[in-house]
Amino acid sequence: MSTEWLPLVVALPLLVAFLLQPLAHWLGVRAERPSPVLYGLSLMTIAATLWITLQLGSDVIAQPLSVTMGGFNTPVGINLYLDGLAYLLLLATQLALLLLWPAGAAVRTHVLLLVLAASSMGLALSGDLFNLYVFYELLAVATFGLIAASPGRAAPLVSFRYLLLSGMGSVLALSGIALIYSHSGSLNLADLSMLAASGEGSLPIAAFLLILVGFGVKAELFAVNSWVPEVYSVTSSRFAALLAGVVSKLAVVMIVRILLLLFPQPEATDPLLLLGILGLVSGELAAWRSNDFRRMLAYSSIGQLGMIFIAFSLSLELGLFAGLALSFHHMVVKPGLFLLLQQPLSRWRVVLLILFALSLVGVPPLPGFWAKLALLTGLVEVGGWLNGVAAVTFLVATVVEAGYLFRIVQRYYQEERPIAGSTSSTVAAVESPWGWEGGVALMLGGVLLAVTLTINPVTEQLQQIALQSGDRERLISTITVSEVE
Amino acid sequence: MTLAIILYTGAIGLLVIGLAGVVMSSHLFRMLLGLVIAEAGANLLLILAGYRWGGAAPIWQAGQFPTTMVDPVPQAMVLTAIVIGVGVQALAIALLIRHRHYSGTLQRTGGLNQLQADLDREAGVRHTRSSDAPTLNPLTEVEHVH
Repeated sequence: MSTEWLPLVVALPLLVAFLLQPLAHWLGVRAERPSPVLYGLSLMTIAATLWITLQLGSDVIAQPLSVTMGGFNTPVGINLYLDGLAYLLLLATQLALLLLWPAGAAVRTHVLLLVLAASSMGLALSGDLFNLYVFYELLAVATFGLIAASPGRAAPLVSFRYLLLSGMGSVLALSGIALIYSHSGSLNLADLSMLAASGEGSLPIAAFLLILVGFGVKAELFAVNSWVPEVYSVTSSRFAALLAGVVSKLAVVMIVRILLLLFPQPEATDPLLLLGILGLVSGELAAWRSNDFRRMLAYSSIGQLGMIFIAFSLSLELGLFAGLALSFHHMVVKPGLFLLLQQPLSRWRVVLLILFALSLVGVPPLPGFWAKLALLTGLVEVGGWLNGVAAVTFLVATVVEAGYLFRIVQRYYQEERPIAGSTSSTVAAVESPWGWEGGVALMLGGVLLAVTLTINPVTEQLQQIALQSGDRERLISTITVSEVE
Repeated sequence: MTLAIILYTGAIGLLVIGLAGVVMSSHLFRMLLGLVIAEAGANLLLILAGYRWGGAAPIWQAGQFPTTMVDPVPQAMVLTAIVIGVGVQALAIALLIRHRHYSGTLQRTGGLNQLQADLDREAGVRHTRSSDAPTLNPLTEVEHVH
């Protein structure tokens, strides 16, 4: 398959999203009614993008590819860039969407989810700053709509508050982009990284700070994450799993890409480390204090993202691997936990919950342990007092994490004291049917165990991907070679 | 050059005024207006980033060279940003209307209290406010005391 198929990954969901409403009208489907035809069409679209990705991406880890769009060469035109990291993110997004797509949803939800799909894939693939901004905004708007569509009186206000915070973030990020443009006259990532690598006229650090805080809103960065507990407790489990699992990681990876390629200055990583530590402390403590399951998971997700930011602030090889390992681990575990909320806890659900909790805390044979170990050894190896503080905070936070996660398990075995959760009684005496959510959670547990058994090859692959995404020369050569004749 | 300084000050000033408006207003609609002002500031900044003093409009005509033209890329970007901004603002107003319909108020504190109570009720935990919490609505709090 030729690489010209790559843009279809973004274009196809967008096209179907725009055709869905007229199609629903033509078929006579009422806007609020679920329609199996439209549901099937949406799923098939995502499956088609998955197929294209699989066809194209079999050897991107060896050789990343870049596609020039619209017939203009890269400094002027725009390009899509597919490397190992983007490939993994695409697969994760597509699989998560396929598994978590709500079956009985209204037409509008399908449309919004398709827009969400297109923009997240565009975010993973985009090769220039302004396109990143546009896809980010598109993703944000789709998210606002999906939050506002959830039932309950609180939904519009939650969505509005999220919109306001996200809008402020976009304004800051846009100012950062303007600063970069006025400094360099280009927005192409390869072009800008060439400029950064040459050492002459490095980009102002203020631009990075603006972009960090701006895009950090979606990445649950400290101080701009007040939306997290509200949104995760208003939306359905599936959508919370999607947001916490995939969307936040996309934003993180975007920030890391910009950091790696454009800002080689050592000062750039310090704010990342500092905000990461603050996020870790505030998230874990808030999770420890909260007494309902959903908000506990939301706050814990803030803490985990803080941990990931700490990892990415480390020097290149060590930090990238640790950060990616933590991100992908969180991408499996947190959706699993959110999905377990859907039904009351029963005996086997608690076993699954314990498995996820053990991995999240980092108990040896499970993947979470290896990811956390990589971060800790990285912190110790790099040294410095701030990294020391980070290491100590990290260890204390792990203890706190174990404390609140096992409080849930403890409550289950005490039986008389039900946990306050999404449903009125979260503890059930009888085994309730697992349903789709439970099945997906079970599958994620299976993935966790499979990774535990094959930890060596998985680590090697991830290390290769980490090396590749930190390789500035390779990005530049790939993008300049792909120019149109 | 003084003109450039004035324009940059204006753009950054709009940005700061807008962000301050979002943070300091107590009315949800004013918060949205703050965001609109901040967006205008950011757009102006982007335009200024690509402006060439004494340059011509970026329209190709015989006898003109691209080097004497204003950079068109930021202008294209600002157009995109404005379109995105309008869409987001319309959505925000729709959300506000629906919120007003549900709760009857657009005040920030009142809505926030109600939001916390709603979330707590949905989660099935008792809605408690710390006894040390600052009184958000003095008028109703006084009645409790007497």
